[in-house]
Amino acid sequence: MNTFGQEDDFRGKLDLRLWAEVFKHALRHRRFLWPLAGAAVLIAAIDASFALVTKYAIDGVLENPEGFSLVGVAALYSLLVLGMSAGVWLFIEMAGSISNHVSHDIRRACFHRLQEMEFAFFDVRPVGWLITRLTSDCDRLARIIAWGFLDLLWGSCLLVMISVILLVLDFRLGLLILAVVPPLVVLSIYFQRKILLSAREVRRLNSKITATYNEGISGVRTTKTLVREDADLAEFQGQSGAMFAASVLNARQSALYYPLVMTLGSVAAGIALWYGGVSVLAGAMTLGTLVAFLNYAGQFFNPINQMARILTEMQGAQAAGERVLSLLRAEPAIFDRPEVTERVRRAAAAGLPPGAAPDGREADIDTIEFNSVRFAYTGGPAVLHDFNLTVTRGQTIALVGPSGSGKTTVVGLLARFYEPTQGRVLVNGTDYRERPLEWYQSNLGVVLQTPHLFRGTVRDNIRYGRHGASDAEVEEAARLVNADGFIAQLENGYDTDIGEGGNRLSTGQRQLLSFARAILADPRILIMDEATSSIDTETEALIQAGLRRVLAGRISFVIAHRLSTIRSADRILVMNAGRIEESGRHEELLRQRGHYYSLYTRQFRRESEDAALDATTPL
Amino acid sequence: MSAATSVSASNRTLAATLSFIWELMAGHRLLYSLAITTLFLSTVFGFVVPLIGSAAIDYALSGNDPDPASLTGLIVAMLGGPELLARNLWIAAAAMVGFTLVGGAFSYLKGRATAQASDGIARRLKDRLYRHLQLLPVRYHDRTNTGDLVQRCTSDVETVRQFLAVQVVELGNSAILLLAVIPIMLSLDVRMTFASLVLIPVLVVFGFVFFRRIRSVFKDVDETEGELTAVIQENLTGIRVVRAFARQDHEKAKFASPNARYRDHSLKMIRQMAWYWSLSDLVAMLQFGLVLIGGIWLISRGELTVGTLFAFIMYLNMLLWPVRQMGRVLTDLGKTNVALGRIGEVLAAEPEPPPARPAPPPPEPIAGRIRFDHLSFHHDGDIPAVRDFTLAIPAGETLAILGPSGAGKSTLIHLLLRFYDYSEGSITIDDVEINRLDRRWVRDCVSVVMQEPFLYSKTLRDNIRLGAAAAQEDAVAEAARAACIHDTILEFGEGYDTLVGERGITLSGGQRQRIALARALLKPAPILVLDDALSAVDPETESLILEALRRRRGRSTTIVIAHRLTTLAHADRIAVLDQGRLVQLGTHEELVTQPGLYRRIWEIQHRVESDLADELRSANPAPTVTPS
Repeated sequence: MNTFGQEDDFRGKLDLRLWAEVFKHALRHRRFLWPLAGAAVLIAAIDASFALVTKYAIDGVLENPEGFSLVGVAALYSLLVLGMSAGVWLFIEMAGSISNHVSHDIRRACFHRLQEMEFAFFDVRPVGWLITRLTSDCDRLARIIAWGFLDLLWGSCLLVMISVILLVLDFRLGLLILAVVPPLVVLSIYFQRKILLSAREVRRLNSKITATYNEGISGVRTTKTLVREDADLAEFQGQSGAMFAASVLNARQSALYYPLVMTLGSVAAGIALWYGGVSVLAGAMTLGTLVAFLNYAGQFFNPINQMARILTEMQGAQAAGERVLSLLRAEPAIFDRPEVTERVRRAAAAGLPPGAAPDGREADIDTIEFNSVRFAYTGGPAVLHDFNLTVTRGQTIALVGPSGSGKTTVVGLLARFYEPTQGRVLVNGTDYRERPLEWYQSNLGVVLQTPHLFRGTVRDNIRYGRHGASDAEVEEAARLVNADGFIAQLENGYDTDIGEGGNRLSTGQRQLLSFARAILADPRILIMDEATSSIDTETEALIQAGLRRVLAGRISFVIAHRLSTIRSADRILVMNAGRIEESGRHEELLRQRGHYYSLYTRQFRRESEDAALDATTPL
Repeated sequence: MSAATSVSASNRTLAATLSFIWELMAGHRLLYSLAITTLFLSTVFGFVVPLIGSAAIDYALSGNDPDPASLTGLIVAMLGGPELLARNLWIAAAAMVGFTLVGGAFSYLKGRATAQASDGIARRLKDRLYRHLQLLPVRYHDRTNTGDLVQRCTSDVETVRQFLAVQVVELGNSAILLLAVIPIMLSLDVRMTFASLVLIPVLVVFGFVFFRRIRSVFKDVDETEGELTAVIQENLTGIRVVRAFARQDHEKAKFASPNARYRDHSLKMIRQMAWYWSLSDLVAMLQFGLVLIGGIWLISRGELTVGTLFAFIMYLNMLLWPVRQMGRVLTDLGKTNVALGRIGEVLAAEPEPPPARPAPPPPEPIAGRIRFDHLSFHHDGDIPAVRDFTLAIPAGETLAILGPSGAGKSTLIHLLLRFYDYSEGSITIDDVEINRLDRRWVRDCVSVVMQEPFLYSKTLRDNIRLGAAAAQEDAVAEAARAACIHDTILEFGEGYDTLVGERGITLSGGQRQRIALARALLKPAPILVLDDALSAVDPETESLILEALRRRRGRSTTIVIAHRLTTLAHADRIAVLDQGRLVQLGTHEELVTQPGLYRRIWEIQHRVESDLADELRSANPAPTVTPS
């Protein structure tokens, strides 16, 4: 249940292979990467040289107060300043470009991969979880890889340069000052980790508080009826108190970290002043060198801090990285076998005769046969046992039975959204796994229980069934399913915008559109999962009339909830616990007085009662 | 709605905003004073550190004569004078470390006090909002959007907290730095002070103007990101349709453009940022260069010491960073103002008022007699939902209410629960007018299952126990059994400890209704109301539940709303509502003999039975079959 949690994990070691894999995406943008590396080194060099310029200026002016030329110093300084500005411009531009391009690329690759994944993949992954992977996780990985590359390169260059300068200026004092680097590194890593962890805790509590607000507001009526105001507030206060404690802890950690590293810096400066001062008095060191040492003593902190931060962030983002990469690596479980691809290739080379499928076999679908099919969802128990059924063209199969009895599984297998765990599904006598997937699925028309429509116009939504259908064909499909009447009454007819998910239409209207969409493709096999929610009588009648026309001449499977649909089926399968319990025509089954009989009479009463009350509702 | 409110919010006067902030700070003002004091002290100590270096260089190392009036002179005197210092440089080094430590301690205290104050204020504000939202009338919640309210309580509060924690301190920090550093600089050298500060106004103004101008770019990025998320969401929720129609290529094409647009807008923002930071770096470094070159020029003329130059460079280092943030901080003030306005709007809404003329509640035990008398009610400007409704329900009776949708059945219940205040007619419980009683007292009397029951993200047990916190395990199980959900609960992995909601299991509509029914049955209340509460429950289970309710008959006054006759069959009396009016009242036997809505429905029902019988006969011509 919680396999799809979103918590970050700091326990693992830094996984370099993972980051190398992410970095491969950055390597595709070498034109930004090289300038970025250049900018990092340039800035490090300039950062390191400022104190040197000051040193030479001071020494120069003290040695020779009259003859010292300011022009040289000013020119050098201006050069450094301009170089620095250019470097800053370059690194922001380049790192930003890499970050955004990499994020764009990874997101696209994930999106494309998701389009190929089978249904089972989506059954176990909540949509919200996937969206987070494709949005914030992609951004985060790309940002870390671009700015981390910059920070690590700049930081290590700067540290090396400063160390070399210090050791060259005065080897012994240089060594003394460099001695503060190791404790600085340890301290930085320790604190950055703690700070990042407590910041995550703050965010976790914050999203909990958001959820509680949401619940408190949506459930306000229930809270009132249960007179739970005080108890709810006490619970909320527990959460806001925890968040307070976590935020203060986080702030205290930061407040402690900076004084500690500053003190370490002042220890280095103190050593420089003491040791260097003694040397200056002894004439072994110039005053300018001493000032340079004092300056450098404070400069270690920034690069070490940045590098510790980015390394901790990389560690914390590893879980996110792993999740995104797992999407990229995911292999669809349902795809064309190599033999099938090979056959398609050969058929294409030989030239396809008319009326043939891409693999050169017959394109028409006349029979579908389930042969001892058994099915279990990944890791679950079998939900369909020894299922056998033969359907020929023109027949309509109605599937009835309680929820969880296997009806949806049957149509999922028929559509090859899933493949049998055991047994076979035969198309004209051939296992459908030996036929091209795309060809097979393009012969399907599917109407789902909750018809999902897309943003856009009525026309766009119907045309979704067959790309490139003409306006006349779209309208013809709408007429065939009786949807043209209500479409004509919309403000812009076929060009009416239906809103997000079609939310500007009623459930019945949405269902009519999804019918039209399915029928536009003129599918050989029609699959329909009837809506359970009540639809007003008028639309219901339209749907039924349309349905009859649509089913003619095809192989149709209907998960039926309405009596009229059930009654008109050629064959009714009463499913229970993954098996066919009864099967036959309506009258036959009624005569058996078994499960079907009780199901039917119950539904009959229910529908009549609804209709009775409906009839009294003033219109 | 939110666009309109943000406009009105941005028109708030500065005085209103400041007084609101001042009010929010109540109880934390002392902590804030502590934060500002420690900030000042840590700044002072931070200032002294470079002065020590400067004093040591100038007087101990260069052998200049200290000016006792200057700060560095004072420091040298404090550290034992130039000669002693020159012989014992460790004193200067130790003083540097010591002052940094003490300054650091103050800085830690400042960080801690600021966090405690700002997070404390945010916490109290959140508690207050939560409480307030629960006390607001149902009418308010009918009109407002949950997402918008949540945003006001979370991200707007966060904006205010940031302001209190970061911006107030940043502004205070910059102000103290400027106020403290300028006199010190002036005491050191007037010309150098001028050279150190001349470009700082340029930096502030540049930042302010830049961040104002870039707001539209930020907005574009946010908007394209929202668009991208919407496209991904639509694709993933509809992925089954995409696969069913094999439209992957179409979807890839649809995704490509927002993905690219988001990237391109982000790149545009990055470019702006690149220009801002490189230019402001350039100005900042020119400022340094001015000090450095001016200083060296003065040194070469013997008018400045190396130590003083060193001190100026250090000060500038301290000053420049916060000053560069100022422009940004100033633009963010506008955001805080809007957030405060949006929060203020919620807090300004009136909570449910107490009764105007309070009456003492009826004596315990409450019998549960309900009386509606000439009750009329309509929502704002709407056609009346209840019209002149009169009905007395004796204690212990089971009354069924039947009627088409929109007849006013639920409104009656909402009035009984005091969700809305009626103005015409009366409702009494045990002969006391309910709008003269405390709302909570009234709600305590009524146990209700609403049409779309709400479950909390708690365990199933806690959800059932919500109305009776002290209920024992067997009482919970008994209520669950009566609601026909006990066995279902045991089938879940963790039984009664199973979590409901996002982090737990998703329940079907029927299961939710049954949990809510168990909750209502467990709550000890003299009145039980089921508002179309079994609509999603399958027929067999429904009849089992009705049977259980029949056994409880007489334990409480019960009102059952339904639109199926089967659900109503066991009621003592049936009330038929149409367009807000009571059109018929009586027992089933009485009503079927009267002409009217009830009989019409009953007749259709009856015809259904014979229709079914006909069909079965035609399906099976054998004469022995008789439909039950």
